[in-house]
Amino acid sequence: MEAAAIWFHFGPFAITSVVVTTWGVMLALTLFCWLSTRHLTLDPGPLQTMLEGVVSAIEAAIDAVLPGRAQLLLPFIGTLWIYILISNLLGIIPGLHSPMGNLSVTSGLALLVFLSVHWFGVRSEGVRRYLRHYLSPSPILLPFHLISEVTRTAALAVRLFGNIMSLEMAALLVLLVAGLLAPVPLLMLHIVEATVQAYIFGMLALIYVAGAMQSQQNLEHNEEGDGNG
Amino acid sequence: MEFDWTTFALEIINFLILVWILKRFLYRPVLDVIARRRAGVEKTLADAKRIEAEAGELRQRCECELAQWEKDKEAAQARLREELAMERERLMAGLEASIAEERERRRVLDERRQHDFQRAVEEQGIAQGAAFSARLLGRVATPELEARLYALLLEDLRSLRPEDKRAVAEAAAVPGLELRVQSAFALDEGRRAELARALAEATGKTLPVEYRENPDLLAGFHVAIGPWILHANLRDELKFFSGALRYAG
Repeated sequence: MEAAAIWFHFGPFAITSVVVTTWGVMLALTLFCWLSTRHLTLDPGPLQTMLEGVVSAIEAAIDAVLPGRAQLLLPFIGTLWIYILISNLLGIIPGLHSPMGNLSVTSGLALLVFLSVHWFGVRSEGVRRYLRHYLSPSPILLPFHLISEVTRTAALAVRLFGNIMSLEMAALLVLLVAGLLAPVPLLMLHIVEATVQAYIFGMLALIYVAGAMQSQQNLEHNEEGDGNG
Repeated sequence: MEFDWTTFALEIINFLILVWILKRFLYRPVLDVIARRRAGVEKTLADAKRIEAEAGELRQRCECELAQWEKDKEAAQARLREELAMERERLMAGLEASIAEERERRRVLDERRQHDFQRAVEEQGIAQGAAFSARLLGRVATPELEARLYALLLEDLRSLRPEDKRAVAEAAAVPGLELRVQSAFALDEGRRAELARALAEATGKTLPVEYRENPDLLAGFHVAIGPWILHANLRDELKFFSGALRYAG
């Protein structure tokens, strides 16, 4: 896949089409959310019902994984789901490319997930209690924990990037080989794949964060189990 | 597959900005309105529970009041039945008293009616007897019988008691008085003169005498000296006899 085109330079920084697309998505989301939530009422219309349904579904999904912490994680996890889903679906529009087909973007999101895991873990458990879980059940496993942290973060970035990039490439190849209407089923598959990949990324991020926030509880639970045993 | 650090860094910044934007313009307003709706629903539910509790309390109170009213009603009914029984007994006693009084009144009335009937029958018998006697005496009323009654009249005039003589004298003292003598048959001159002398002896003075025949007397005489009357005839005797019988009855 060819590198993203540079649209302009801002000092020493080259602003690529991916960043501009991201800004466009941000602008569209901002306008949509601002316009649609200006006059929310207790008697909702169709648009408000849709918005409440989306937010409630995200909150319920978070609450199912981490009961009682949905309000805390909703902005981060919800934004991951919404942003990745919309970015993935952008690839369907002719002339646009999904930002998730760029490894720099998915790596940035993966790094944010990596940092947020430790941020929420330390915030929930405290530094010492949070770091203790790297030594459980045995300090010998510390290198494996550290490798796991890096590899799962890399896996997050590469999984999303690979899937979206391959989808767009496959559609392009089919279009070149089979003609104009042949990629339509593949585009339908793109919608499903975009949704599934957004869900997987967000759900994995949620599970990682939940694991960090519940690590001390799991440790105490294991110690209690050992004591009883 | 090319990695661009500028894109990497800007993407991180963009995402953090997007988190803030969505939190500000999407999650918070939507969650607020959901919370408000939930609060409204909870308030409605709380109100419904409160109203239900109040309704339950009211129902319980109503049931208590109904039970109390039922007791009061039964007590009032018992009291009413008792008062009705007493009133019935009182009315029955009054009715029995009035019946007894009416029975006594009817008995007295019946006795009176029976007595009156008996008296009417007696009077009718007396009247019939008097009529029968008058008819019988009318058949035997002859001048001979009148002669005997004439002798009896003279005897009575000559044998007046002193108080009768004084009464006759007072009656005859009225100025211009005329003696009236009625007889069933005509008196001859001799008897008229003899009777005039007897009357003069009885009254103590000689007064004019008017003689008149009256067949209703059957036989005998009817002498009027002013208000003083001397009866010596069958008709008046029958009247006296009938009056005596009535008086005796």
